[in-house]
Amino acid sequence: MGVCEVEILAVENLSFAYPGQAKKAIDGVSFSVEEGEFAVICGATGSGKSTLLRLLKRELRPLGEIGGEVRFFGKPLDGLDEVTSACKIGYVMQRPEQQIVTDRVWHELAFGLENMGLDIGAIRRRVSEMSSFFGIEEWFDQPTSSLSGGQKQLLNLASVMVMQPELLLLDEPTAQLDPIAASEFIAALVKINRELGVTVVIVEHRLEEVLPAADRVFVMEDGRLLLSGRPREVASEIAGRSELLLGMPAAIRLYNAISHLPIKKSECPITVREGRQFIMKNFKSGASLPLEAEPKDGAPALEMREVYFRYSRDLPDVLRGLSFTVYEGEVFCLLGGNGSGKSTALAAAAGLISPYSGEVRIFGKRIRDYKNRSLYRECVALLPQDVQTMFLFSTVRRELEEVGARLDELPYDISHLLDKHPYDLSGGEAQLVGLAKVLAARPRLLLLDEPTKGLDAHAKKVILKLLSKLSQSGMTIVVVTHDVEFAAECAGRCAMFFRGEVTSCAPPRRFFSENSFYTTAINRITRGHFSGAVTLSDAVELCKKSFVPASSDEGGSRA
Amino acid sequence: MKRLEDYNPTTIFLYFLAVTVVPTVFVDPALAALSLSGAAAYYILRGQGRLRDFYVYGGLLLAMALINPLFRHNGVTVLFVMGNNPITLEATIYGFVASSMILSVILWFSTFSRIMTSEKLLYLFGRVSPKLALILSMALRYIPLFSTQAKRVGDAQKVLGLYKEDNIIDDIRGGARVFGVMVSWALENGIITADSMAARGYGIGRRSSFAIYKFTRADAALLLMILTLFGAAAGVSVLLGVSFTFYPAIKPPPSLPAAAVYSAYALLSFLPAALEVWECVKWKYLLSKI
Amino acid sequence: MIVIKSAAARKVIKVLVPALLIPGVIAAGAYLFRGRHYYAVTLAVAMLSLMLFAAGFERKKTGTRRLIIVSVMVALSVAGRFIPFFKPITALTVITGVYLGGEAGFLCGSMAAVISNFYFGQGPWTPFQMFSWGLIGLFAGLLGGMLKKSRALIVMYGAVSGVLYSFVMDIWTVLWYDKGFDPALYFAALGTALPHTLLYTASNAVFLWLCARPFGEKLERVKIKYGV
Ligand SMILES: Nc1ncnc2c1ncn2[C@@H]1O[C@H](COP(=O)(O)OP(=O)(O)OP(=O)(O)O)[C@@H](O)[C@H]1O
Ligand SMILES: Nc1ncnc2c1ncn2[C@@H]1O[C@H](COP(=O)(O)OP(=O)(O)OP(=O)(O)O)[C@@H](O)[C@H]1O
Ligand SMILES: [Mg+2]
Ligand SMILES: [Mg+2]
Repeated sequence: MGVCEVEILAVENLSFAYPGQAKKAIDGVSFSVEEGEFAVICGATGSGKSTLLRLLKRELRPLGEIGGEVRFFGKPLDGLDEVTSACKIGYVMQRPEQQIVTDRVWHELAFGLENMGLDIGAIRRRVSEMSSFFGIEEWFDQPTSSLSGGQKQLLNLASVMVMQPELLLLDEPTAQLDPIAASEFIAALVKINRELGVTVVIVEHRLEEVLPAADRVFVMEDGRLLLSGRPREVASEIAGRSELLLGMPAAIRLYNAISHLPIKKSECPITVREGRQFIMKNFKSGASLPLEAEPKDGAPALEMREVYFRYSRDLPDVLRGLSFTVYEGEVFCLLGGNGSGKSTALAAAAGLISPYSGEVRIFGKRIRDYKNRSLYRECVALLPQDVQTMFLFSTVRRELEEVGARLDELPYDISHLLDKHPYDLSGGEAQLVGLAKVLAARPRLLLLDEPTKGLDAHAKKVILKLLSKLSQSGMTIVVVTHDVEFAAECAGRCAMFFRGEVTSCAPPRRFFSENSFYTTAINRITRGHFSGAVTLSDAVELCKKSFVPASSDEGGSRA
Repeated sequence: MKRLEDYNPTTIFLYFLAVTVVPTVFVDPALAALSLSGAAAYYILRGQGRLRDFYVYGGLLLAMALINPLFRHNGVTVLFVMGNNPITLEATIYGFVASSMILSVILWFSTFSRIMTSEKLLYLFGRVSPKLALILSMALRYIPLFSTQAKRVGDAQKVLGLYKEDNIIDDIRGGARVFGVMVSWALENGIITADSMAARGYGIGRRSSFAIYKFTRADAALLLMILTLFGAAAGVSVLLGVSFTFYPAIKPPPSLPAAAVYSAYALLSFLPAALEVWECVKWKYLLSKI
Repeated sequence: MIVIKSAAARKVIKVLVPALLIPGVIAAGAYLFRGRHYYAVTLAVAMLSLMLFAAGFERKKTGTRRLIIVSVMVALSVAGRFIPFFKPITALTVITGVYLGGEAGFLCGSMAAVISNFYFGQGPWTPFQMFSWGLIGLFAGLLGGMLKKSRALIVMYGAVSGVLYSFVMDIWTVLWYDKGFDPALYFAALGTALPHTLLYTASNAVFLWLCARPFGEKLERVKIKYGV
């Protein structure tokens, strides 16, 4: 950075324990962030990222035992006056709908300014400027409840930005956004950082776009700060640690996966562009993987035929002639933008809403012929998008016992969470408990609504394995997800959802090769050079195939 | 000129106060009739009324009116004797007057509820007590949120197969469970909302309000008119003792001051209907010029 | 309005004003006006007591979290009113009063009255409902220690306050209708409302029997975890 580096945030030996918890959620963390930097905090689910971030904002500090110190521009956080503390440090929360406090978009934008006691003219000026910066004008007058997930998150960012903070803290702001909305969100963030000089500290699991923009990366593990440094330093430091590597951007993973080949050692690529250059330099083009054949039609497990649905008479259709078929034992992924109607489609499949036209069949039988709720007994189970809706009791143990789950044979290890209150879980932990609860119902048809949101890469891998085991044992699985990487790995077929219908549907390689934005980073890296590579293992396979030994003179001599 | 609903919330509130206080404090057949017809005219002009409502209101009026003579036996003109109790003309008339008055107030407030949106109400409340205003606005926001969340929670339970059979007992038990979950959810999310407000500086000092309802000259004029009419009707009634006597015998007030009271109140009562008509005419005229 | 410094004095006034002062004024009004303009007197008293309360409340530094928790309870009471035979306003007001204190109870009851009337009809009766429900919450808070301990007591309190509520509201109905106060009309009104009152009382009692504990635990958890 410049000549005079100003420390905007300094954390010294910070530790924290939630009341009644023996284990510290944060344990001796020290770091500092300079003014104008873009810092990323990542780490496994439950490693204390949200807790750490909340400790950096006085108003949001959780109750518990705090040790150590946090300083903002050299002043301890406790010593800041109310106005500075509230206005100069902005915070965007993990779940978009939770942060909204008023019922109109314009009022939400003005809320912080009203609290600062600004006069009407100033409020109007700042609100209108910020809403044109974020492109909010079109839905300025709408009620906040009618916004899509992406719009809500953008509104949250804008309503913090109107207060002109100097430090912006964001907790997994893109967890529920579709890939396009997520990259727009990150782009807006980068713009704020570069053009307005606002310091950004962001907690993220999806590092693909954030990491390249970052000046500094912090990796957390079990309440401690494991690593910190510039993205490239971190990328090289974690080279040997597979569980950390898993969450890194595709270019880094690819580089590390083929690093045993005797290629020219260059710097580790981080962005998609660098990844492309790396591939082009080192491998000859033209290799391809065969596109999968369409799977043979089996017995249909879920059929939708020309389904139309709207939430009320005077609202537009949400499902518009939706038709698709899922076969028994298949893993079927539905992808699509925020608000395109994916969750609604799952609700129709689970018989929770009744379409006004069209037909839904489960295992060949019309859904309304399942009398007496027999549908839900060992036939269909749904993991809702909001897992909190599933929690009834005051401990995780009772939640699981209620649905008859055997605690000693859970599909993955959540034993450390059993005695916690479900509302005390971190975002990812709640997701894991919710999934365990649905699986305990042992359905034949499993519907999952965004099962991987907020999960770290390791947990995703566990779920991936679990799903493939379940589908091999005959379970049919429908997954709605924004996570294209996950879909590419787990799906037998993927379908694109657009305005209430399925517009394309194919096995992953074919599906992702045809898309240009809605596709995996690996596909974007290898596109044009190789064809048909959508997952890391695809790319590695092709790289091995098209590795040119000719260029290995140099590499060989070095080795 | 604007419709009544386009005026400042203070003006609107004072209007409804004035127009309902007069007939409730001074029970009088003419005032009750004026109030009822003014309220009904406004109600209909705003397009709120459905035919069915009027049958309901008519029934209500009749039922309430007939209760009085059954229980009150004051009055000198006995119509007939029921059981041991005389049914008097005075009590019957009082019944009709009182119930028309009550009905008119119900009608006034039904329109009031529509016009006084939560935003306007908050503006009013916010001046009296910002904290009450906060409670009110948050509660108003939570109510629709809760019903959608309750549906989601119910659905989540349903697909987990927690309802064993399709019967009422199971449904009630499920409903109770959902309500319990809703309490937890609402409390925890309430805390998050509170934190989100605090994080954006709620409560650090004097709040300003972006939602402004300017108090314009038109407001001042209308308010002056409302106060004058109200003052005339109430003042004359109190000072000159214009009051309608029902018991023991019906005795109307002296006609000259009564005429003043009635005409002032008639203007007050038909004010919103007149504004509504005027606006409609003006709009037609403007349209014809396009 | 009135600034009361000492907490003890505030507490005394909070009991005295509603329990003695207001009934006193009502009686005096009745005596002085001899039954005329009785309605105006009561309306004025109800408004005044609310204002006084609001003033006392506004002065105290109450955290945003606490205010929001009260509005959550208000919203829950109103949202529950749509379920047939199930009007949890009284029960939830009692629970709020017991677990969060009299002030919160008063606010919960009175605000629930205002808001539910947005759906069921606003009118001059609104201040009276605010007043009656508010008192139920206030006294629940004052008796909180006792009610928290015994399930039977809290159920009894709920039932009694439900009955008293309809007694008070009927007084008001009669006053409004009939400018004087005629006991015959009053008993007739009580009689017609009897089935409704009974059903209401029973549903209150059942609700409190089943839910006072679990809901109370949830409120306690929030109190401990977030320091409300
Ligand atoms: N209110 C709470 N009371 C007790 N324990 C808590 C509470 N909130 C979080 N924890 C625990 O503290 C640990 C860290 O939680 P935190 O929410 O900071 O994780 P995280 O890194 O943000 O995870 P995720 O990526 O899943 O959001 C977890 O083990 C969690 O169970
Ligand atoms: N209960 C509801 N009432 C009215 N409209 C609704 C309701 N639920 C969803 N909608 C609307 O239906 C549309 C589709 O919503 P849905 O939740 O199915 O989208 P989605 O594809 O799951 O989006 P996301 O990826 O953000 O979860 C949206 O425009 C949404 O606003
Ligand atoms: Mg988190
Ligand atoms: Mg969805």
